Amino acid sequence: MGLVRRNAPPPEETAAPPTTGTLMRQLDDADPDCRREAALGLGGVAEAVPALLRRVAAETDPLVRDAVLTTLAAHDTAAVATGLGGHLASDDAGLRTAAAEALATMPVSVPAIIPGLLADPDHDVRVMTAMVLADLPHPGSQTWLAQMIAEDDHPNVVTAAIDALLPSLELEHHDLLRAAVQRFPDDPFLRFTVEAALR
Amino acid sequence: MTDNRPKVLVVDDAATVRLYHRTLLDEAGFEVAEAANGLEAVEAALSTAFDLFVVDVNMPKMNGYTCVETLRSETVGTPAPVLMISTEDRPGDADRAYAAGANLYLVKPVNAERLARVARMLTAGVAA
Amino acid sequence: MTSAATTGAGLSQADFEKFRDYFYKRTGIQFTSAKRYFVDKRIDACIRNSQFDTFTSWFAALRLNDRSDLLQELINQLTVNETYFLREDYQFDSMLRTVLPDVLALRGGPNRIVGPLKILSLPCSTGEEPYSIALRLLEEWDLIDRIDVEIHGADIDSDVLSRARHASYGERSLQRVPAKWREKYFTPLGAGRFQLDEGIRGAVTLHQVNICDTLAMRPFREFDVIFCRNVLIYFDELSSRRAAENLYGAMRPGGYLFLGHSESMSRISPIFTPTRLPEGIVYQRPIGANR
Repeated sequence: MGLVRRNAPPPEETAAPPTTGTLMRQLDDADPDCRREAALGLGGVAEAVPALLRRVAAETDPLVRDAVLTTLAAHDTAAVATGLGGHLASDDAGLRTAAAEALATMPVSVPAIIPGLLADPDHDVRVMTAMVLADLPHPGSQTWLAQMIAEDDHPNVVTAAIDALLPSLELEHHDLLRAAVQRFPDDPFLRFTVEAALR
Repeated sequence: MTDNRPKVLVVDDAATVRLYHRTLLDEAGFEVAEAANGLEAVEAALSTAFDLFVVDVNMPKMNGYTCVETLRSETVGTPAPVLMISTEDRPGDADRAYAAGANLYLVKPVNAERLARVARMLTAGVAA
Repeated sequence: MTSAATTGAGLSQADFEKFRDYFYKRTGIQFTSAKRYFVDKRIDACIRNSQFDTFTSWFAALRLNDRSDLLQELINQLTVNETYFLREDYQFDSMLRTVLPDVLALRGGPNRIVGPLKILSLPCSTGEEPYSIALRLLEEWDLIDRIDVEIHGADIDSDVLSRARHASYGERSLQRVPAKWREKYFTPLGAGRFQLDEGIRGAVTLHQVNICDTLAMRPFREFDVIFCRNVLIYFDELSSRRAAENLYGAMRPGGYLFLGHSESMSRISPIFTPTRLPEGIVYQRPIGANR
């Protein structure tokens, strides 16, 4: 035998990890792999949050952006929620969907920014908000979605909210759905969806 | 069981949209499969040769533009037509869809007749 | 069974569909309606064990995510956790036939490769997986005489690691090992136990590590092939994303990642490139310009 060898030192014996200061500088490195590893290495480091938020806005490499968001979302603080909430309006589809995904994992701090998002004049932002609420593990999610279905004046927001609410649909929501169809009688998709849900 | 109908993959994170498009396309003579985000679509396209993709824009894990780019890249390399359907109607969205490799970009909602007509047009020539 | 009205989830079709959608979204595992009876029974057991009265209250708690034990138990109930030698063997076929030749080609070919091929099994549990990889390489890979291969196993649980180090197994664990291999590589210890050859035990390096801990995972580098089967489904969204990022960091560009047969990265992270092999989908760390 000896053909399957352990001829390298065990991984534990390799170099000491870089310091927080080094990692924060590396967030702006020219090498995307270096930025990506720096972002992951900053997990749990509160002082790095502003730099990470700046990196989200500036980053063009989707792999690095994903790593930055993985680290940021674990903070679940007001600063992160507000910072990421702003990206729901981004023209970059990759950024706005990645921001929505991260926000959906932040049940502590996201509820505070929901009222502002629901009142956003841009209906695309409100559609993205429904996407956040669909996955946000928070007891208020249902109520906000119901509010969107009852009050939002854009049919695409209402259908997004209905889709998000369906997995936890209760009998008490049925009238809400029927009323939505009456508010948008010309939307064939909304009618179809409500009929399917009530069947 | 053999099925000679053209195969379409409906890609949308909203279960209600998938059901709606599935129903309409089934009635229009297509065999329909579903994927809930762009990555699932890419994985499905690696295993099955679809004749048409109907793709949403805003999806978790992989958005519609990246999905279409990946379908067109050497990772998948499908020549099948791609119809993007989005809630977005910002200026430039359609250009982005075409740059990614989509054949047609429509804004929701798309009614039954239009979806059926467009799907048949895009797959004209595929044995039904 | 004690009192009356002990649940009996008695799921309605709508409840079943809601549950099925949720479980799929959460884990990427999908049940067909044909599995309905099985799923109902297992859900029943979960509701009973966690002392909820109804499906509705249990499901609401599960969805709210504030009790991770509920999801853990559900996954345990609905998946098979058993580990044994040569489990999901088709992935080892895939490694031998397609993945290793490709990895070698990426690294300049069998004559010009610098450094060993590195394979990681994580989690390795009691050792069956990394040792299965070793056996199949020794018995079936014709380049094993020419190329150095390092096999590493890692797990968060120190108990399973010490059992992996001792490498003694019962009949159940060895049921798929061909008799010839068993004779060649295992020594009977009595009482139905068999210990793996010392040479193989010594050739596989074992580590204790938490896959979600980026700092602890940092020394794992330049792996050509990683098996990470049936563990990511247990994690919540952020943990599974971080685990995926850590696996990416542990891989060489172009390296291959195998997940469990019912698992998919499509519910976790887009950072890997899915690749279709004859034996199924695997994931590659992209080779790209800088990576």
